[in-house]
Amino acid sequence: MTKLNTNQWLALVLALVAAAYIAMAWQIPTFPLPRPVDSDLFPKVLGFSLLILSVFLFFEKPTPLAGADEVDHDAQQGPLLLTPWARVIVTSLAIAAYALLLVPLGFVLASTLLCTGLTAYYGYRRHAVNLATSLGVVLALYLTMTRVMDVYLPTGVLPF
Amino acid sequence: MDALNNLMYGFGIALEPINIAYVFAGVFAGTIIGMLPGLGPISALALMIPITFAMEPSSGLILMAGVYYGAIFGGSTSSILLNAPGVAGTVATSFDGYPMAKKGLAGKALAIAAYSSFVGGTVSVIFLMLVAPLLSKVAVSFGPAEYFALMVLGLTAVVSLSDKSLVKGLIAAVVGVIISIVGIDLQTGTERFTFGSIQLLDGIDFLVVALGIFALAEVFYMLLRGGGGKEAPRNAIGSLKLTRSEVKEIAGPVSRSSVLGFFTGVLPGAGATIGSFLGYSMEKRLAKDGDTFGKGNIKGVAAPEAANNAACTGSFVPLLTLGVPGSGTTAVLLGALLVMGVTPGPMMLEQRPDVFWGVVASMYIGNIFLLVLNLPLIPLIAKILDLPKPLLLSLILIFCMIGVYGMSFSVFDLLLLLGFGLLGLGMRLFGFPAAPLILALILGNIMEESMRRALQISGGDWMTFIDKPISLSLLVIALLSLGLPLLKKRRKRAAAAAE
Repeated sequence: MTKLNTNQWLALVLALVAAAYIAMAWQIPTFPLPRPVDSDLFPKVLGFSLLILSVFLFFEKPTPLAGADEVDHDAQQGPLLLTPWARVIVTSLAIAAYALLLVPLGFVLASTLLCTGLTAYYGYRRHAVNLATSLGVVLALYLTMTRVMDVYLPTGVLPF
Repeated sequence: MDALNNLMYGFGIALEPINIAYVFAGVFAGTIIGMLPGLGPISALALMIPITFAMEPSSGLILMAGVYYGAIFGGSTSSILLNAPGVAGTVATSFDGYPMAKKGLAGKALAIAAYSSFVGGTVSVIFLMLVAPLLSKVAVSFGPAEYFALMVLGLTAVVSLSDKSLVKGLIAAVVGVIISIVGIDLQTGTERFTFGSIQLLDGIDFLVVALGIFALAEVFYMLLRGGGGKEAPRNAIGSLKLTRSEVKEIAGPVSRSSVLGFFTGVLPGAGATIGSFLGYSMEKRLAKDGDTFGKGNIKGVAAPEAANNAACTGSFVPLLTLGVPGSGTTAVLLGALLVMGVTPGPMMLEQRPDVFWGVVASMYIGNIFLLVLNLPLIPLIAKILDLPKPLLLSLILIFCMIGVYGMSFSVFDLLLLLGFGLLGLGMRLFGFPAAPLILALILGNIMEESMRRALQISGGDWMTFIDKPISLSLLVIALLSLGLPLLKKRRKRAAAAAE
């Protein structure tokens, strides 16, 4: 069996997504009163368009990938936690944790922790400057949003 | 002559000291708010309603108009410096503005944005004054079929920009529309693709997707390239001055895009976003160095900036002369006017000439303020690029979070933001353009609504899109905009093979 190229892999994934989408579009309930166009028509058109486009993509010759070749290969040799992909994964986990802790901890504390922690993790070693800048920016944003713009942000464990 | 007399009357109102102060305050506040992702012109204007409540209607509208075009200009700053467009109308600016900033030309990019916005704003005010009544008549003849065709044209114009693969551009556009229709169908009340989640009933907000696909994906991409661990070389902002040849180079794009932007803004539903994308795509096609667009071409900053500011002014035409808001932003303006006791519409010119002409005259003054205010501030604003890379990356993350949470107060949206950030990274790594997705997301709902309304009126007859001459012409242009690049490519390949 011949090996599939990147476009063909992507096309297969997209075709599966399109098929699932079309199946879901068929589940959309019809409106009780008869109408020339119901809620399901547009999604069905979109699903079939995606399916047809994935067929085109399957037969399209892949061009060199724009971003993939720019990945920092030197860093792959370093400690596992500092490899480029590990940085993306750790950052994603940090964002997810931030989202879950934002309300209980409050905006100021959660944001300062996220900002200071990630900056240090990315390799910035001047910790005092890091903490001062993160806290300063977060506080400035917090005060502008809550006091000037009247936008509510969670206070959490802090009294203000 | 009549227009000139009316304008003089308008200047009499706009030049009152209190109104000058309002123009200045509006432009200043708008610029600052526009820089913050999450607080675009709509939020900025909504925040102004309580302030303008007790004002004279002309003063209130003068203040709000200043906030509106100030916010559009402010949005271009975060697009250029951080690749984080807070406003849909400035997405196209980031295509070349951000690469320019990365090359150490942030100062020049911001200066071009300021000059182009000034010209776009000023040219369109002249148009607003002279041809507003005539244009409103054309715009009112647009039915749902024409709108649908216009949306299709807006989308294909952007898809055709994806040089490397038209198929990937189209896939991005389809995915954008798919995201846009999540939530309750407003025509039937049916839930679509919500997977039983209450948070998805209202759909997915543009800002969550835009910040994820652009800003968060950029952070991830920088991390992959080692932007975190190593101290990246600091980019100087460079000179703000433009050389004579640069001015000459952008003069054409700025004037063409100003006119195009204005006309796009007049059409309800189109506005600054389509205006800026159309301006960008037109200049890319016209330019001899079109292949350098997306890599830091100055015309790629000038064209969308002139177009989006011109479109902002254009969007006042249907609002003031028909009482029909053409965009979410002008809808908020309409609400504010109603609160102040002014009903915009065909009679407004006769009943409240002070409001109409006062606003028109204030726009001239506002555009001058915008330039005077922003040019000296550019070096200060661009200092953001001097921050150490690891700190800058973390701050961009916080910026995204506050933008999303401050708008929706939803933890779920923060998780969605993360999802779209990862999707944006994947799209970037596999060569899918982000612009068609984001435009399709904005247009998807209006497109579906127009299509269904047109079919409703025609009793389900699809020929309605071809029967109407305007709709047919727009669809033919849309088809050509997709077909021509393909033909060009084929010809190039044939020529290369012949050699």
